[in-house]
Amino acid sequence: MEHTEVVLEVRNLVKRFEGLVAVDQLNFKVRKGRIHALIGPNGAGKTTTVNMITGDNPQTEGDVLFYGKSISKLPVYARANLGIGRTFQNIKLFSTMTVLENLLIGGQSKTTKSLLKYLANPRIAQKEEQQLKEKAEGILNFIGMYQYKDELVSNLAYGRQKMTELGRTLMGDPRLILLDEPAAGLNPSERKEFIDIIQKVFDQGVDMFLIEHNMDVVMNLSHDITVLNFGCKIAEGAPKEILENEEVISAYLGEGYRKQMKKEAEQNA
Amino acid sequence: MSGIIVQLIISGIAMGFIYALVGIEYTLIWNASGVLNFSHDKLITLGAYIFGGTYILGMNMGFIPGIILSIITVAVMGIIIAKVIFIPLRNLTMIYTIMATVMLGKIIVEAIRLYWGPVPFSVPDFLVGTVKFNNIVISIANIAIIITASICVCALQLFLYKTKPGKAMRCVAQNRNASQLMGIDVKTVMVITIIISMIICCLIGILVSPLLNISTTMSNMIGLKGFAAGVIGGFGYLPGAIIGGLVIGIVENMASMIFPSVYKDIAAFVLLIAFLLVRPKGITGKTR
Amino acid sequence: MKISAKNQYLWIGALFIAFAAVPVFIHNNYYITILNQMVINMIVVFGLNFITGLTGQMNLGTAGIYAIGAYTSALLSRNLGISPWLTMMAAIFAGFLLGRGLGYPSLKMKGVYLSLTTLAFSEIVRIFATNLIDITGGTQGLNNIPRFGIGPFMLDSNVKYFYFILLIAVIMCVLSIRIVHSKWGREFRAVKDNPDAIESLGLDIKKIKIRAFTLAAMYGAFGGALYAHFNGYITSLSFTTDLSINYVIILMVGGIGNILGNMIGSIVVTLLPELLRFLGDYYQITYCTLVLISALFLPNGLVSLYGKITGLMKSKSTSEGGES
Repeated sequence: MEHTEVVLEVRNLVKRFEGLVAVDQLNFKVRKGRIHALIGPNGAGKTTTVNMITGDNPQTEGDVLFYGKSISKLPVYARANLGIGRTFQNIKLFSTMTVLENLLIGGQSKTTKSLLKYLANPRIAQKEEQQLKEKAEGILNFIGMYQYKDELVSNLAYGRQKMTELGRTLMGDPRLILLDEPAAGLNPSERKEFIDIIQKVFDQGVDMFLIEHNMDVVMNLSHDITVLNFGCKIAEGAPKEILENEEVISAYLGEGYRKQMKKEAEQNA
Repeated sequence: MSGIIVQLIISGIAMGFIYALVGIEYTLIWNASGVLNFSHDKLITLGAYIFGGTYILGMNMGFIPGIILSIITVAVMGIIIAKVIFIPLRNLTMIYTIMATVMLGKIIVEAIRLYWGPVPFSVPDFLVGTVKFNNIVISIANIAIIITASICVCALQLFLYKTKPGKAMRCVAQNRNASQLMGIDVKTVMVITIIISMIICCLIGILVSPLLNISTTMSNMIGLKGFAAGVIGGFGYLPGAIIGGLVIGIVENMASMIFPSVYKDIAAFVLLIAFLLVRPKGITGKTR
Repeated sequence: MKISAKNQYLWIGALFIAFAAVPVFIHNNYYITILNQMVINMIVVFGLNFITGLTGQMNLGTAGIYAIGAYTSALLSRNLGISPWLTMMAAIFAGFLLGRGLGYPSLKMKGVYLSLTTLAFSEIVRIFATNLIDITGGTQGLNNIPRFGIGPFMLDSNVKYFYFILLIAVIMCVLSIRIVHSKWGREFRAVKDNPDAIESLGLDIKKIKIRAFTLAAMYGAFGGALYAHFNGYITSLSFTTDLSINYVIILMVGGIGNILGNMIGSIVVTLLPELLRFLGDYYQITYCTLVLISALFLPNGLVSLYGKITGLMKSKSTSEGGES
């Protein structure tokens, strides 16, 4: 694990809200070819951390590095253009538009034609639009959403909306995707489908950083885990190590979880 | 010469307090309901008409009973306006809330024109005369403005920090949804806020009536400069509105020494745009 | 039920043809003047639709923009004798600069700043126009603003001028439709839909809003220039906040974000003072109450009625079909 390239690194990250310390001196590294999870109880500062990485709510102190370059002073859109995609905890789609239109917006930061050129000669831009459309349809096929492409997103089931959001993120050709609670609000079959797609995207070479409450999802997906409690890192390591970490159990998982895990282990044996 | 400067500063402070009160009056509603009240200048005009047109000139009352009755009248109107306009508006998007309050303002002006007539008038003998300190002449109206506005600000602070409804108002201003979940009756808080805001508007109307004729357009500029005061101080932050108001009052009076006085009104708007360019969060750096 | 894009364009085309036919039946000069004003309003509102209709940012400074367009073209053509064709281009360029210059401070932060700065800007323009009497003529106004011709064909009558601006309106309408259906139009709509998501997709939300505002300012300034040359006379008394509000009313009454709605709004709101004239003193208060009610109960404007009516008719016909 130590040998692969570092994709994302946070250094001594601090976030204060009017005297309240939400995240304190946080350090971790997300490595290439690994899915990294950030877990912890409610209010531990997980979403705050993601918002610092994306720039939606920048840090009070510290630094964020993406492929070794500091991005902590860049605006949100510039970070996204470097290849950091994200999904939101409570889906943020363009609800009056169709699935396809949502995806097109996701990809159009890469388009280059200017408005003046378009008005003078619509053909050039139409060609660009056509290419964007083809790309979107490819992605819709990839995530199994092609048959919904002309549906208004507000008419879709929650799981489908979540999938649309992932598709929209993929349109920006991200190198790293931050998933904020990907499994929240999904029923078991939707969840399984979503995990499969995430795995599939990861297999294409996109690194993942996720925040998640559902321990099954975390254990199934992630290679590395960082545990937060009250804004501080209390543990880091492979899933197995985390499950056996005393501090993590008492702070987050609880005794019940250990018993359940033991039971499952015995049953499996 | 220095006497003139001191006089200008004092009348600037007086106008500044007016803008500060305007800033407070709309910031309260903004914080409580997320509605930017574009009818506020007309509510100021309405206050002046109720006081001057009905109670003083219409009924020949004394000034003090006139003021008290005006306040009671606008408070009752506040309840109606809150229930009919502001509470239904709170969940609509900005364009509709702005247009609805703009229309409310126009309706108020038309109602004033139909009820009191289109001819401007003034209230005789109300806050006239001057006081002289050495070579500095200050008008009684300005002194009244400074004293009343200071009392208003202090009373509002006491209300917000020491009383239960005041504390509820602060909670709602912080986070409307959370307050609702915590069992605060947001609608009642909005009604209270709008009543307070209407009372402040009415007081502003009464206070400026010695400076301007009472007419349907008397408060157009005051209303706009009050908005500028809010932005310059820090939008949505009450102490910011006070500081912003004072800054505008003083700057525009000083500007009238350098530029022709017809351009005095521009100072506030130039400051507004300059602040947005250089320091968009205002002097205090706090916005909501 | 929404009107399909194809149906909408059929209606837009039909409306323009109807417009072109009006002078054939109506020869009263007063009505032709109203007709001109209606089409100029339409052009301005096509522009306002970008910023207030599609991106949902309140612009209360249309009067200031319109005034800048009107004064730029009027002063350049009248005092310097430059061809109005060029001065109108200058007006559009002034609108462009204005959109950039005012858009940047107002739109770099979220919130209501645009509505406040545009309102303040409008006041600044009005105060200058009123007091720089040597240049603008103040409230007395500026007269003898030249009409112009297309080659040897002079636009010397109101009917001829009407056909000229109708042609301009058609062009501006086509441009609007093109923009709305391009990726730029999609961005505008996205800003109104969910502003929090835009930046995470690599798009700079400030730029999108400023672009929409610049388009609005260019259309608005063009409308102002057309007005100045049509009227031959402008005064600072016309460019009040009420004018700005009137344009937002047109937008809202017709249907926010909808080009057909912009046209319907222009027709209805320009005609309403004529239709409600019988109310006399009570006209303004009735008018404002109507607008207030429509803001609260018909937020998508008159075009949304079309969908409702066809929806009703459809359900009626299917239920009748069920009975037979």
